[in-house]
Amino acid sequence: MAKRILITDDALFMRVTLKNILTSNGYEVVGEAENGTQAVKLYEELKPDLVTMDITMPEMDGLEALKQIKAADANAKVVMCTAMGQKNMVVEAIQSGAKDFIVKPFQPDRVLEAVGKLLAA
Amino acid sequence: MKVEYVTPFVSASSSVIHTLIGLSAERGKLSARPQLFTSQQVNIVCGITGEIEGQVIYGMSMVTAKKMASKMLGGQPVPEFDQLAASAIAELGNMISGSSSNQLFQSGFKTDITPPTIVKGPNISMSNFDIPTLVIPLNVPEVGELEIAVSLRQRQKQAA
Repeated sequence: MAKRILITDDALFMRVTLKNILTSNGYEVVGEAENGTQAVKLYEELKPDLVTMDITMPEMDGLEALKQIKAADANAKVVMCTAMGQKNMVVEAIQSGAKDFIVKPFQPDRVLEAVGKLLAA
Repeated sequence: MKVEYVTPFVSASSSVIHTLIGLSAERGKLSARPQLFTSQQVNIVCGITGEIEGQVIYGMSMVTAKKMASKMLGGQPVPEFDQLAASAIAELGNMISGSSSNQLFQSGFKTDITPPTIVKGPNISMSNFDIPTLVIPLNVPEVGELEIAVSLRQRQKQAA
């Protein structure tokens, strides 16, 4: 069965791009969230195998959503996918339980490598 | 405004565009404006907050915006500047601002960015900050000219 992924990004363009990369490589995109609040809600409903998480978003940002998802499910696999690559953000995300940190703009292979490694385990 | 605030935006623009669409942008001549103002048809407005604060506008013509969106969508034709095209252009601004913010952090300035806003229509002047603006034109082959207007200052001490 295809591994199920939830995409979180406020930009439609980014959701479409990530969805294309993932679905053309055999993953199923089960949901798309436009902000942190939606991501937390959809995570609970869909129980995906992995979540991609933007940081700069309206309503609730990705770091807060990451913390809430990890609080609800300590085993959640969340990969940050953001334009903000500052060391302090990376450290905060990893300390909060993110499994990987991808800085935009990215090459499709970078996403596939991160997702493949986490979902193979 | 200090030129050191602008440099990250110039280098980030070139590297982000190169990663996204594989084209090398050429930088034009820097100019100054007394205020943050744009006469471009499509503008991405990004807020910068933190130790350096203000706004950056990435402006371009509608023709350039459609060509850029098409390139970002892997060559998919963009006959109308629809929601997906607008989102691609907004994300371009978000990625350049994010990347610039990373570089500013390395120079010792901690900043964050706000989600980008697209403003269409020429002759927009932003008057919430009275900060001089530096403008850098960037020529992207096959796409057109992108104008980056940077209006930033060191954070003012808040009155008690």
